[in-house]
Amino acid sequence: MSWRRALRLATPVLAVLGVFVVWDLLVRILDVQPYVLPSPWDSLRAIRDDWGTIGPYTWTTVVETVLGFVTGAVVGFVLAVAMSRSPFVQRVVYPVLVGSQAIPIVAIGFPLVLLLGYGLLPKVSIVAFIVFFPVVVNVLDGLASVDRDLLNLARVMDGRPARVFLLIELPATYTPLFSALKLGATYAVTGAILGEWIATKTRGLGNYLLVQNSRLNTDAVYGAVLLLTAIGISGFLLVVLAERLATPWRTRSTARRWRARSAGSSLSGGVPVQEDEDGQIEGGRP
Amino acid sequence: MEDAPKLVAEDITMRFDDTLAVRDASIEVRHGEFVSIVGPSGCGKSTLFNVVSGLLAPTSGRVLIDGRDVTGSTGHVGYMLQKDLLVPWRTVVGNIVLGAALTRGVTERDEAEARELGDRYGLAGFLDHYPHALSGGMRQRVALMRTLAVHRDVLLLDEPFGALDSQTRLSMQQWLLEVWDELDRTVLFVTHDVDEAIFVSDRVLVMSPRPGRVAAEVDVPLERPRHLEMLTGAAFMERKRRILGLLYGQGAA
Repeated sequence: MSWRRALRLATPVLAVLGVFVVWDLLVRILDVQPYVLPSPWDSLRAIRDDWGTIGPYTWTTVVETVLGFVTGAVVGFVLAVAMSRSPFVQRVVYPVLVGSQAIPIVAIGFPLVLLLGYGLLPKVSIVAFIVFFPVVVNVLDGLASVDRDLLNLARVMDGRPARVFLLIELPATYTPLFSALKLGATYAVTGAILGEWIATKTRGLGNYLLVQNSRLNTDAVYGAVLLLTAIGISGFLLVVLAERLATPWRTRSTARRWRARSAGSSLSGGVPVQEDEDGQIEGGRP
Repeated sequence: MEDAPKLVAEDITMRFDDTLAVRDASIEVRHGEFVSIVGPSGCGKSTLFNVVSGLLAPTSGRVLIDGRDVTGSTGHVGYMLQKDLLVPWRTVVGNIVLGAALTRGVTERDEAEARELGDRYGLAGFLDHYPHALSGGMRQRVALMRTLAVHRDVLLLDEPFGALDSQTRLSMQQWLLEVWDELDRTVLFVTHDVDEAIFVSDRVLVMSPRPGRVAAEVDVPLERPRHLEMLTGAAFMERKRRILGLLYGQGAA
């Protein structure tokens, strides 16, 4: 690995450290009281000291976030595809979906709990509810962006509708889909916390925050917020990684080779030509 | 049936609501012939193409291929447009075999054939590239290979080089003639460019302004293979004068 590349990979980490340093300096220079704004190190220490509690709570929140995120993404995708197949369905469903996003989730906690109970369900539902909408909008846009002439060409070739959908229309949704999922990955964490505040029985970071807030344990609050941030960033990075794997044509000039080609095929003895700048993903491939 | 025409479009009329786009247009192309259509923009060339390809059912008239009525049905011709319409997530080979992928699935033979076509006609070294890594001329080569790989005798090429710069276009014309010469296909070629039409064709059909019909036909008895010097020869110039006259000069007459 060249040092340029190492530097490029290290930059985001350094940026996060930079935030910590600035935070720390502000606390020191302005002499802020720890119960108003604890230093980053105090916040991290609060996580360590209370790990027995906060660890399992974090796990609960991660599970809610992931389940809700996946549910929302799948529901959104399926809805968008169904809507794109029938203009009638689209005309009926779209306004309902748009309207649904105006519902103030925070403000309807009581009926929501009556409806969904106190368990995992309300949290997963709220996360899914937040995640699915951008997915629907973006996937619909992706499907609509397919060139009419390309579809005509497929018709002239006598293409079967199912194959045309799988090979031409579906891949056109990937890029907008992943844009929606990147937004969703960060919103999802907020959604899970919202769910935990509304239906307070599960032991997640939202509940932890409520308790520590009431005790004025500011460093523990900031500790929990750091963990939430970490969940959000990890989710975002996973989506970015998935996008790279799913859409190689956007970052590479040649196809990844998963299987060996017969000898005598063109490119330099079967070694992928590396012209993209971030080729690290296929580093260990045969 | 040696002399039976390969492709016949018979009295094609196409009306869109109030607009008469094409009126009684008739075309006959013999097997292995290279025929161009030129005409003012909006004369209905592309409409006529869409009828011949089966994308549009004509208001009246018939399309015959090898004497068989194929009016309004698709899957009988190869078809290529000015836009290359390459699928961004498929490699060069993946795009060449698109016809098979969309119908019955790609076999090893399809892929081997695509590689051979690509290697032979100027795409060697780029077979596993994605389209975004190719130049405009290369992309059009891939588009033509894709058209050839569906194995139709009749190829409809609608201004395939219209978006290329003039130098690339010249080399692409020569390249197209080389491919055509080796592969024994029948070509119907639409272009705006009179030079291009004469250079590549056996015959040039001149269409009238809308509602389009075939107003005149100019034979191009230049020998093949064609060379660049022909572009400035007397025979070439004489045809060019006639076609330009038909298109612009005697428009009012």
